[in-house]
Amino acid sequence: MEIFNNPDLHEGDSLNAFYKKLLDQVPDLIFKIRWEKSTEAYAINYLSRSVCDLYETSMEIIQEDPRSVFYERTVAEDIEPFIKSLETSRKRKVKWDHTYRLNLPQKGLRWMRITAKPEKEKDGSISFYGRATDITDHKEQEAKLHVSEQRFNYALKAASEGIWDWNLETSMVYMSAQLMKILGKREVEGYFPSTFWLSRIHPDDLPGYEKSKVDYFKKKNASYESIYRILTDSGKYRWVLSRGRVSDYNEEGKPIRAIGTLKDINQLKEKEVELGNTINIIVSQNNRLNNFAHIVSHNLRSHASNLKMLLDLFKTADEEEREEMLQHLEAISDGLTITISHLKELVEIQTEIKNVKEKLNLRHYLKNILNILHNEIKKHGVNIEINIPLDVTVNYNSAYLESILLNFTTNAIKYSSPDRKPMISYDYEIVDDKKVLSISDNGLGIDLKKHKNSLFGMYKTFHKNQNARGIGLFITKNQVEAMGGKIEVSSEINKGTTFKIYFDEEN
Amino acid sequence: MKKISSLYVIDDDKIYHFLLKNLFKQNGIDVASTFFLNGHDAIEHIKINKVEETLPDLILLDVNMPIMNGWQFLEEFNKLSNLPKRPTIYMISSSNNEVDINRSKEFNGAVKGYFLKPICKEDLDKIFIS
Repeated sequence: MEIFNNPDLHEGDSLNAFYKKLLDQVPDLIFKIRWEKSTEAYAINYLSRSVCDLYETSMEIIQEDPRSVFYERTVAEDIEPFIKSLETSRKRKVKWDHTYRLNLPQKGLRWMRITAKPEKEKDGSISFYGRATDITDHKEQEAKLHVSEQRFNYALKAASEGIWDWNLETSMVYMSAQLMKILGKREVEGYFPSTFWLSRIHPDDLPGYEKSKVDYFKKKNASYESIYRILTDSGKYRWVLSRGRVSDYNEEGKPIRAIGTLKDINQLKEKEVELGNTINIIVSQNNRLNNFAHIVSHNLRSHASNLKMLLDLFKTADEEEREEMLQHLEAISDGLTITISHLKELVEIQTEIKNVKEKLNLRHYLKNILNILHNEIKKHGVNIEINIPLDVTVNYNSAYLESILLNFTTNAIKYSSPDRKPMISYDYEIVDDKKVLSISDNGLGIDLKKHKNSLFGMYKTFHKNQNARGIGLFITKNQVEAMGGKIEVSSEINKGTTFKIYFDEEN
Repeated sequence: MKKISSLYVIDDDKIYHFLLKNLFKQNGIDVASTFFLNGHDAIEHIKINKVEETLPDLILLDVNMPIMNGWQFLEEFNKLSNLPKRPTIYMISSSNNEVDINRSKEFNGAVKGYFLKPICKEDLDKIFIS
């Protein structure tokens, strides 16, 4: 049997009937309109049956009065543009393609699209062969898509999030406009090789970034999430949060496409850092308060209890014993006086309203202190080395500067090693734009592993030294901190100690 | 009751040493007392005198001291093995800090009690008689 060989189209139906049957099955309205040159008017030559459905009318009505159907069904303000577009197409001989709306009794508002090809005839008349289609569903989809796309874009913008879409096979990454903006680039989307992104991640954050990626690919984590710094075009790093998932795997289960978002969390991170700094300040203030409570609790109490015990014993003591007790009473009184003066000194540092800062020449002040200590230095044969430029000044309270230099210098002499010639060196440098003075000695050194936490505490001494009272470093530290700076210490037993004083001043 | 015939006092306050001596005297307590100014001096002394006769029956230990404080002394002391006897230890301090008082209970019962300065006759009764 042969199929479609030698078809006989005329068998049975006439060709016209055949076409008519076909046309009637097409849901679109098939039509022919003709513009008559002699009358300059349009006439409908042919309409397929679909017109009944699309216009909610019957062949009878439309044959009788097509004009009324057109005017009644077409949305009023769409009539003029409809005619205008038809005229343009006729005059310019270009394809007629127009979208308009119908207002139907049953289906209500419908969107229609009409397309037709104008053909010029010998007498100058023009025929349009074309079709009209109900595109309402399509229009609605389009509108929905538009709304959801808009919503999506607004949401991403509001959340300052960018989108990335990474093709793991080609190693190319799509980056959305918002993402480009985070990088400080023009807000235009683009495709970049994945190395472009990698090269911009802060070197310190790269290991963490790689780890979260690998952990996700190995399915250790349900989704990929990583926080790192990315280099922007301004040359500065910004903190970002990147999140994503693999959207497609190949047959072997290897990821081939991953999509995710990138959020600029710089402000949040900066707040976090700020918070951390505030906590540090509070912790250091708390430590000072604790030390304060300690001096009150321990030292005042120990004097008071000695006094109490002494008085109890005094009552029943004999004459000779009383004499000795009176001497001790004097010692208690002296101790109490010293403790109170220390307390006063500390309270003053904490509450000093007159923390007046002046421009002070560092070298000049150091020379003054060394002059005061001249006898001590000579007695111990201390070698002094000063590496401070002549013109270095610091903004400081002069009394504090004197007390700090005095304290560190006397400490260095006090804890010098008997085995070698004492040496103190004063070195000025700038670290991270901050002015720093280092005071180094070659003395006994301090076991920092044991004493680091209590080094600057009150009444802590680590050496068997008669003069050690353990208040100096505590007061010095308070003074430096009251001026907004800090002290760092490094030490090696029997090698020496270096104290670094940071002045709170940008160079 | 264990007879107490010798004791160590470890405290950096020399006036307290004097007062304690007098308090013993007035209360008729007759013991051989050795005084140390900090934990370090005491531990060194113990290390070179590890015999029954020189080790004390009782140690009165201060908390806050320079060089080696009471806690550090306890740590070092607990490390010492093969001591012919274990002295009874009381902590006596002017620190009324809860943290210190609770901490004294952490040394596996090595510390028998914690007394707050000033020390009075009643305290001595508790330490020497009970």
